[in-house]
Amino acid sequence: MNAKELLERLELRGDVENGLISVRAERGVFPSLCTRLADEFALPLSLLFATDDRKGSATYGVHALFSLDASHEWLLVSTMLPQEDPRYESLTKTVMAAHWYERYAMDMFGIVAEGHPDGRRLVHHENVPLGTHPLRKDFAWDTRMDHADVPYPMAHVDGDGIYEIPVGPIHAGIIEPGHFRFNVAGERIITLEGKLFFTHKGVEKLLEGKTPAQALPFIERISGDMAASHALAFCQAVEAASGVSITRRAAQLRMLVHELERVTMHLHDIANMCGNGTGFTVMAAQGFRIKERLARLSDRVFGNRFWRGFVQPGGVAKDLTDAQLKDLRETASAAYADARELIDMGRHLDDLRERLETTGVLKRQAAVAYGALGLPARASGLDRDVRRDHPYAEYGTLPTEVVVETSGDVYARFEMRRRELAVSAGLIARILDSLEPGDISVSCQVKDGSALGAVESWRGELLAFTRFKDGLIDRCVVRDPSFCNWALFGELAPGNIVPDFPLCNKSLNLSYSGTDL
Amino acid sequence: MNPVILTLIQTAVVLALSPFALGCVRLFKARLQGRRGASPFQPYFAFATLLRKEMVISEGVSWVFRLTPYVVLASSLFLALVLPLVVRGGALGSLGDIFVTAGALAVGAIFLVFGGLDTGSAFGGMGSSREMTIASLLEPTIILVFATLALATGSTGLDGIVSAGLSVGSAPFLALTIAALALVALAENARYPADNPATHLELTMVHEAMILEYSGPYLAMLEYASTIKLSAFVLLIANLVFPATLVGTASSPAAVILAVGATLLKLVLGMGALALLESMISKMRFYRMQEYLTGAFFLALSGLALALIQHAV
Repeated sequence: MNAKELLERLELRGDVENGLISVRAERGVFPSLCTRLADEFALPLSLLFATDDRKGSATYGVHALFSLDASHEWLLVSTMLPQEDPRYESLTKTVMAAHWYERYAMDMFGIVAEGHPDGRRLVHHENVPLGTHPLRKDFAWDTRMDHADVPYPMAHVDGDGIYEIPVGPIHAGIIEPGHFRFNVAGERIITLEGKLFFTHKGVEKLLEGKTPAQALPFIERISGDMAASHALAFCQAVEAASGVSITRRAAQLRMLVHELERVTMHLHDIANMCGNGTGFTVMAAQGFRIKERLARLSDRVFGNRFWRGFVQPGGVAKDLTDAQLKDLRETASAAYADARELIDMGRHLDDLRERLETTGVLKRQAAVAYGALGLPARASGLDRDVRRDHPYAEYGTLPTEVVVETSGDVYARFEMRRRELAVSAGLIARILDSLEPGDISVSCQVKDGSALGAVESWRGELLAFTRFKDGLIDRCVVRDPSFCNWALFGELAPGNIVPDFPLCNKSLNLSYSGTDL
Repeated sequence: MNPVILTLIQTAVVLALSPFALGCVRLFKARLQGRRGASPFQPYFAFATLLRKEMVISEGVSWVFRLTPYVVLASSLFLALVLPLVVRGGALGSLGDIFVTAGALAVGAIFLVFGGLDTGSAFGGMGSSREMTIASLLEPTIILVFATLALATGSTGLDGIVSAGLSVGSAPFLALTIAALALVALAENARYPADNPATHLELTMVHEAMILEYSGPYLAMLEYASTIKLSAFVLLIANLVFPATLVGTASSPAAVILAVGATLLKLVLGMGALALLESMISKMRFYRMQEYLTGAFFLALSGLALALIQHAV
């Protein structure tokens, strides 16, 4: 069913703006309408966010974005809340995937989702005073706050022999801060809850009032290992808002760097899971060596190791010479051939496989309920991929095979990466074969209005919803897939033993920085 | 040669070479995995650095925490002094009774556990609980291995057992017993597949979790103690396989020098074998450890059964 038929059935009228179909709903019917869309029509809730529209209409906006995968459309359901009483009935009660979004809006805007099953603060830790709502327009980005001591309670289990293991926020190794609270009976995990946002950077706030060109460096640094994907999602939003379409060559080059980023990080994850996660260190040593070749390739071609600085509004920053394209092709295919040999060796080792199988199972039902995204969702049987469901760049003409596994354990996520590597390596070769000569950039003048950019990063669906006013960013929502997937640990860890948790963690490899944006 | 001098030589050799042995296993592992690796002498520098460092000790700890490094180091020193590692018939050889040796190992292990628990940190408790789980599963195998050796040689002292000159050729069951001992040695020394000595992931640690709160000289003592213990186990197993490489009181100084050279060779080869093993396998899931240790138990039991049959015939 496409959006038009859907809206006819619901007897609603939708407006189309920059490819986004939007529907207004009264705050009384907003939760029930969204619940119908999620339950009756099985539409995944992709994003829920708030806006501060007090200046124009004396209201706050709450917007829920649904994906119509089959017809490649997005449906945005919005409601307006009066500024003196920003309350609405919680959607989380019926659509669980909204749980963190609503808590986020409560912290950031002071918009209350009444009856939220878990009304605790999310982003604000103990030190942030009550009533601090940084994304409200009247909150200056450089406000100095008092040091408060508001409780931040976490899940706690009482009983004989139950004990609590606090891990982090500072970890061994060089990962970012995050606190994990385990309640265990012996080695068996009963509950696991994470506390994130230790290094919340306020990127959304900082982006406001900037031009797209000024905003891009911030976007690229939201999550260092996804620089190209974040830039791509944002640039697509900017281009949609400008009403321009980029040249074929630019689209092909974007897709190339997007897939190269995927190959780099899938290789990293396989090495990290199989090597460091299980102690089979050969995989780590060799896998990281192969990944390093790709990081250096990026350094040679783009001047940095993170596939950064290439994608920009209107196209790409520079054209690649034949020598550079040859380097890309040869280095990437040699690295992939090397990796395949290593991965095949690992696959045939019983003791390694034994560690991966049955560990950290994410059931399909849980993946749907939590709104799991990307690779972990596909490993649990959810057949969704933005590259096919909302084609961008050249994915429409070079369709990609969507890899799905069903067992939902760490092994399934390993297999996902192995198979997606093969798909991406094939795509890279096909792009390079079909690369067309032509311009690489078009000029891009943003018009007032909203637009959405969506890409399938190597972690999963990445969204950038951007609203422009007078050529400047009025609101930019960046939804890193990690934001939706962090809560999965509460579901997939219980039942496992504590020493297997690092393996579960590495099999998801979520971004702290992308969540603490 | 005087037994006192022999014992002193053995102790000096084991104490001096054990950090090198640890350096070797790390270097070999690195090379086997395609990394360059640090020099095998790196552990000496690491210990020297630790000895110069300040200790950070939690205010909540009791005297047990401070006593632990001394007891653990003493238990390892006992092994170096008493067991037939480089020489046999040393001055303290008669102390090396299997029960006393097992007791010395146990005292060291128990104090490590206490030290881990004493800080009250979650990781220490977790490591201690895992250590005791593994230790209790190891115990029966250790007893069976020693019982088999005692039965076959008529001696309950390790010195006597090694001196009896039993070889795999004349006593085939020894192959099973030594294999069981090797499996025990891996678990006892916190190596693969029981523990990963190189990991930084606290949640997966056993031995390292217990000593996580130690720093500076205390940490150096604990780490030195485990390198001595590892070398002692490697040498003991090598000596059971090649008892002729040990020198006794009737040997000439030249033979003693040769035995020291053989010790170095045994350590390097033993560490090479360990590095090879650790590069080939993954760490075992913790809840599979009982299968590994049951396997070791049945190896030891089969050795004992064969020894009894051979004895009866």
